[in-house]
Amino acid sequence: MPAPLESSRPRLATGCRWGKDGEDRVVLFPEGMIRLQGTGQSVLELCDGQHTLEQIVETLSKRYSADTAKIREDVATFLEALQQKRVVDY
Amino acid sequence: MTPNPLALIAEITHRCPLHCVYCSNPLQMMGTESELPTGEWIRVFRDAAHLGILHVHLTGGEPLARSDLEALVGAAHSAGLYTNLITSGVGLSETRLGSLVDAGLDHIQLSFQDSREQSANWIAGAKAHAHKVALAETIRRFRIAFTVNLVVHRQNLDHLGEMIAFAEQLQPDRLEIAHAQYYGWALKNRDTLMPTRRQLENCLRSVGQAQERLSGRMRIDCVVPDYYARYPKACMGGWGRSIMLINPGGEVLPCHGAGVIPGMQFDNVREHPLDWIWQDSAAFQRFRGEQWMPEPCRSCDRRTLDFGGCRCQAFLLTGEASVTDPVCTLAPSHHLVESLQLETDEEKRPEDVVWSYRMNPAQERRHVNSSPRHLDPSRQ
Repeated sequence: MPAPLESSRPRLATGCRWGKDGEDRVVLFPEGMIRLQGTGQSVLELCDGQHTLEQIVETLSKRYSADTAKIREDVATFLEALQQKRVVDY
Repeated sequence: MTPNPLALIAEITHRCPLHCVYCSNPLQMMGTESELPTGEWIRVFRDAAHLGILHVHLTGGEPLARSDLEALVGAAHSAGLYTNLITSGVGLSETRLGSLVDAGLDHIQLSFQDSREQSANWIAGAKAHAHKVALAETIRRFRIAFTVNLVVHRQNLDHLGEMIAFAEQLQPDRLEIAHAQYYGWALKNRDTLMPTRRQLENCLRSVGQAQERLSGRMRIDCVVPDYYARYPKACMGGWGRSIMLINPGGEVLPCHGAGVIPGMQFDNVREHPLDWIWQDSAAFQRFRGEQWMPEPCRSCDRRTLDFGGCRCQAFLLTGEASVTDPVCTLAPSHHLVESLQLETDEEKRPEDVVWSYRMNPAQERRHVNSSPRHLDPSRQ
């Protein structure tokens, strides 16, 4: 699978959902869970199947007042890795 | 301090319509009359979530054999647990699957015995294959994670490529290629199940190629059968470290096989709180941590990676549960595993295969007259 497009609407893959491990929000999937912190969690929380990658990048660059091109690259790489793990679909 | 458990394996029944020769259930099983009732399981799921458990794996036997499965899934889901159903699929109609999904089922794992119908039914001791293939198509119509579990061993590994292609057509999210592990019924059948070294090498190559080809479409997990590994598996992620198993009668075990170890006594959820059983009961304390370890484990750097391997395997191969797992190339008893590898080099043809099919608790009761021990469902 290639990297997500600007128009992709990333979402948690089937069988993946948010859960709680103590106070931490974690993503549960069939064989385990991922504990995400900071920006990783922010990105994944925006992956609701409604927002496009373009909108997610825009939201994040406002929130962290960082360079849009750099954020786009980081987010796309991050989502591609999670897609390979079957945690995210787009 | 004892860490929280993360997963609960809930063996809700030993009843099963299949008789797979590689089944890891204990040889002596519990009948319907000793199964935990619905209300007890519901309480257990709440206690489990409270203890920090995230996943519940509903298994058996065949979990669908319980008519209250929908209620159990619903209760586990309401408690906040990620619910996984490990099933043969026999007895699952589209309507019932719909009810389970509505109740909050997150994931279904469907087992296959082979890609070839005749062989699959031979291994399962039941005509189930065609039904499973039809069911896989039904599952894809629901928004639920789907894993195909393919159990591999000497009798089917020669056509692993064909089996992977078969699994691919079923379109699961994930394929688990599970080498039979030699506990319970599989241990009885080890001579006919243990792969040859050549089969193992071919298997690793086929799996590697398929993983690359299917990357991002279907995830493939495969674990090396541990008689051929250099170091033992970190069985259950370490004794009493992250997983607990509750058997149909409510006894809480550190793993599937622990009942074979002499002197083990398991506390029951009917009599004790789950958190006490996890933290303080004798069964969970027995091989927890490093105190029990002999050399070479005690001073080995790998003791924090594999925790000394599998206690049941150590017992089954050497007669001693507290020695280093013989699978480890550093173990004083490793020659036992090496001789098994050598014996397996001799090829046997399928028509020569004589094996023991897994029986049901009900079938066992029919043998009561010839073996009075079967009267007592709590024996191990």
